[in-house]
Amino acid sequence: MKRRAASLGLLLVSLCWSPALGRDLDEDRRPAPATPTPGADPAPYVAPPPGVYYVTDTYVADVVTSTGPLTTYTTTTVHQSTGSYARVLETVGTGEASVYDGRAFNGRRALGDGRLIAGTYYENYVRTDVGFEAVSIVFFQDDAELARLLAATPSPGVGRPQPTPSRSSGPIDSGCCAATRPGRTAGPAPTAPPLRPIRPGISLLPASVPLAGLEVLRGRAITLWPRAFVDDREVPVRSWAVIRGDAGEPATMNGAGGVPFRTSWPRLANPGSTFDLVFRIEVDTPETGHRTVEATIAVVVRSPALVD
Amino acid sequence: MSWRRDDGGSAMVTTIVLAPILLVVLAGVLQLGALRVAAARVRAAADLATLVAVNDQDDGELARSGALRLAADATDVAREYFARELDLSAPFLDRPAIEIAAGADVAAYPSAPAVDARTGRRYDHPTVRLAADVPVRTPVFGALILRPVTVLHVVAVSSPR
Repeated sequence: MKRRAASLGLLLVSLCWSPALGRDLDEDRRPAPATPTPGADPAPYVAPPPGVYYVTDTYVADVVTSTGPLTTYTTTTVHQSTGSYARVLETVGTGEASVYDGRAFNGRRALGDGRLIAGTYYENYVRTDVGFEAVSIVFFQDDAELARLLAATPSPGVGRPQPTPSRSSGPIDSGCCAATRPGRTAGPAPTAPPLRPIRPGISLLPASVPLAGLEVLRGRAITLWPRAFVDDREVPVRSWAVIRGDAGEPATMNGAGGVPFRTSWPRLANPGSTFDLVFRIEVDTPETGHRTVEATIAVVVRSPALVD
Repeated sequence: MSWRRDDGGSAMVTTIVLAPILLVVLAGVLQLGALRVAAARVRAAADLATLVAVNDQDDGELARSGALRLAADATDVAREYFARELDLSAPFLDRPAIEIAAGADVAAYPSAPAVDARTGRRYDHPTVRLAADVPVRTPVFGALILRPVTVLHVVAVSSPR
């Protein structure tokens, strides 16, 4: 019996065999073996200075858009490589002066109240025979009037440029992978993929202006819509949850993106204080990846009362 | 007993003389009480009217700015509710409630701060103010050679605080 079973198992194994499809995950990251071309004069590889990256998104223009009371200052880019390099000089906030003010070829705008807008200074380089030569400075603006109001109650990704250079990626790649992965490299320090800042917001209507603060009447039911924006475009919210603050008498403390937060406040806050409500907003799009941001809204509950 | 005199006649005279006076005083007190009740009702009507008007907020402005603003028809709402509430006290009133409400001075201050031109008061929140003269019947006073109609001056101010 045992011999018969062993024979049957051996037969099955011999009939179902297939070669193992093992694959080294790092195989395509490895530089291809050099294939010296006869007669070619390979230029010596000059490593870029620290912090200098190969540019894959090129500056096009400064854009100022206004939607109601919200004025957004952004920069448009085109995904192309001109063979130049860049590095981050300085990321400045709203109203902060910089030693590079006046040196960018595209200038730095000011808000309506005269303060300089937030953004990031980049210095562009070209590769020459003698190394990397600085050619210009460009300012990528990234600010908004409403975003600055939200910034009063700090939350990640609100109206402030991220410290990671979003307009360039890692150093130049070697020959093997450049055609398929422009900008990637076999170099020592691959940078994280650039994250575009997500600007969260809370609005009373699905398509109204995001609010930093809100006055409501005591006991009146309201709906709040957690929303998220990348640059000047809205991205769908996957889910939201109220993580901090007095939510009054809510119907639910979390929900999907298409479901608003419904609540009412039956009582007033202490004199001079507000109900600060913090939402965690989850987005998951190809553009943003799976990320969560927090949005804060200050709620002032008022009650109609007689004036003596 | 000589010291006990018969005072039956004088008691009758006293009663005849004092009874009308007492009745007049009693009627006056009752009329005064009724007037105070009417005044309380009128004041409550004005307060309620302004409260309802303040409670009617501009939802569009709230969605745009997040701030409470009075609705555009706040004065109409206040006037309408003032008339409705006064109508419950119609037996007291000398004129129809709707007519009294129509003559009321209703002012809305949708944004703050604002200064009331009539009272000189400063409002730090959106405010509705109602001032009205409400004629109330006082027939007893009229019978006593006083005014048969007493005008009550009422001012009510409300704002969300």
